[in-house]
Amino acid sequence: MAGLSDFVYNTFLRRNFTMLGTVFVSAFALQMAFDTGSDRIWDSINRGRQWKDIKAKYVQAAEDDDE
Amino acid sequence: MQTRNASDAPASFNSPFKGSASSTSIPSFAAYRNKSKGENGPKMMQYFMVGTMGALASLGAKATVQDFLVNMSASADVLAQAKVEIDLAAIPEGKNVIIKWRGKPVFIRHRTESEIKEAEDTKWESLRDPQSDADRVQKPEWLIMLGVCTHLGCVPIGEAGDFGGWFCPCHGSHYDISGRIRKGPAPLNLEIPQYDFPEEGKVVIG
Amino acid sequence: MLARSALRSARSAGAVARNAASKTTSRSSSTSSSTAEGAASSWKTNALPAGATAFAIGTVAWYYHLYGRNVDAMTPAEEGLHPTSYPWAHEKWHKTFDHQALRRGFQVYREVCASCHSLARIPYRSLVGTIMTVDEAKALAEENEYDTEPNDEGETEKRPGKLSDYLPSPYKNDEAARAANNGALPPDLSLMVKARHGGCNYIFSLLTGYPEEPPAGAVVPEGLNFNPYFPGTGIAMARVLYDDLVEYEDETPATTSQMAKDVTEFLNWAAEPEMDERKKMGWKVLAVTSVLTALSVWVKRYKWAPIKTRKLVYTPPIQTKSPITSKLPKPDQKS
Repeated sequence: MAGLSDFVYNTFLRRNFTMLGTVFVSAFALQMAFDTGSDRIWDSINRGRQWKDIKAKYVQAAEDDDE
Repeated sequence: MQTRNASDAPASFNSPFKGSASSTSIPSFAAYRNKSKGENGPKMMQYFMVGTMGALASLGAKATVQDFLVNMSASADVLAQAKVEIDLAAIPEGKNVIIKWRGKPVFIRHRTESEIKEAEDTKWESLRDPQSDADRVQKPEWLIMLGVCTHLGCVPIGEAGDFGGWFCPCHGSHYDISGRIRKGPAPLNLEIPQYDFPEEGKVVIG
Repeated sequence: MLARSALRSARSAGAVARNAASKTTSRSSSTSSSTAEGAASSWKTNALPAGATAFAIGTVAWYYHLYGRNVDAMTPAEEGLHPTSYPWAHEKWHKTFDHQALRRGFQVYREVCASCHSLARIPYRSLVGTIMTVDEAKALAEENEYDTEPNDEGETEKRPGKLSDYLPSPYKNDEAARAANNGALPPDLSLMVKARHGGCNYIFSLLTGYPEEPPAGAVVPEGLNFNPYFPGTGIAMARVLYDDLVEYEDETPATTSQMAKDVTEFLNWAAEPEMDERKKMGWKVLAVTSVLTALSVWVKRYKWAPIKTRKLVYTPPIQTKSPITSKLPKPDQKS
């Protein structure tokens, strides 16, 4: 445990430059994770209400000639 | 940055001032002392909190800037008109059709076999704006280009000029059957817009 | 300073009448002196604040009396009945539009409303991805004809509609609409949910609120219909929704209220097509900012910890039998 935190501290947080880089990279990762997660929650709250939920019904009918 | 541990500190402070040693005592900070063994643990916590705040704040800043930039891009109604779909079946061989696209005329020429051959056989390396016919068309029978003379922006007349292509009446530029400049003041060939054929007999410009 | 002057003026009885106003001010601000002879003149102490409060309240009351009250130019009948509040699912802060209902609502609009009301701000392209597929929207657009751009001779021709076109209006212009409707103009419905007080509730109440016949005593002008929810109660539009007027493709029973509900939700979509995205964005922003607030509180406490946890030690100087202050002249004794 102490070894791990020493490693993380020395690698990412010790120097200002690496700290800043870590923050920006994790911001990027955080955004992707947050967007995916919130989309999933939103879709589960609104299951069956959104167009993508009922789209299949109407695309099937016209599937033969296009797309 | 001081790296001294609390245990290193002397229990009492020896003042350099004369006679005050007995009256000075350091109060206890034991309640605030770091309970864990190493010092990296609390530091990690502190940097983690500060770093997370920075990350979230930069997310917000990025979203704000992005919204302002997106605001500058073309609106949905403009984008919806930026593409034009044309039914090619209505254009017979050897005919020109002029349509309007984003306010500019677009020439669509259904070229005949002989015209294609003529366009391809031309020695294009020595032309003013050298370009092979294959670079200017996606399908050889369909020549699609902007009908704006590259000289001063007049609209050339079709099936006219010395090279069987287009002729600009304003200053006498002659274009061949591939829309390349052959004679006259214009510096460049007629411009080719972006287009593709999503299905047989249909072209989408834009 | 203030306390001393109050004491002095209180001692000299003749000065009371001379500057009563300044005395009350100074006395009320000097708490220590009022205890000395407080009980007798306490009403004077309170007179100024009480008077000022009464004056302030009186001023507000007078101002409100003059300008504050609602002026009702209209009788309740002219205002129209307030619509009932219905528990619209799509108005909840975490719910999107029910797109199946939007599709039904658009069907109702097309088959019923569209014969008089335009929906001029809605292009076909916005139906794609919310109400219909691309192919359905294209087919629908091609049912109508639109003017082309002027050709070389400056004349326009007709062409089938495209996705970038807007839904066609039933009348050429407002004058034609009035002429066809007894002088009444059927309003454009694009922003109707936003444009009327009560929003969805009003439109639903209006559509379903036509009584069988007007109540006794109600005056209904010639050519108008009675609807209690319409301001003025006389509305040019007659009741249009009856059970089984349309046949839903998803086989929902087409009762009057079902159709009214669907078309109201559709009109809400027409007025606020961005609602789903807006709500989603809103709660994402709330989530991020609340975490950010908590973090910033933590960081503030962290940064202030060295200052908040410092300790000041004061060791009083050694006391002697005769302190040095006793040798100084006393200021009070001389005067």
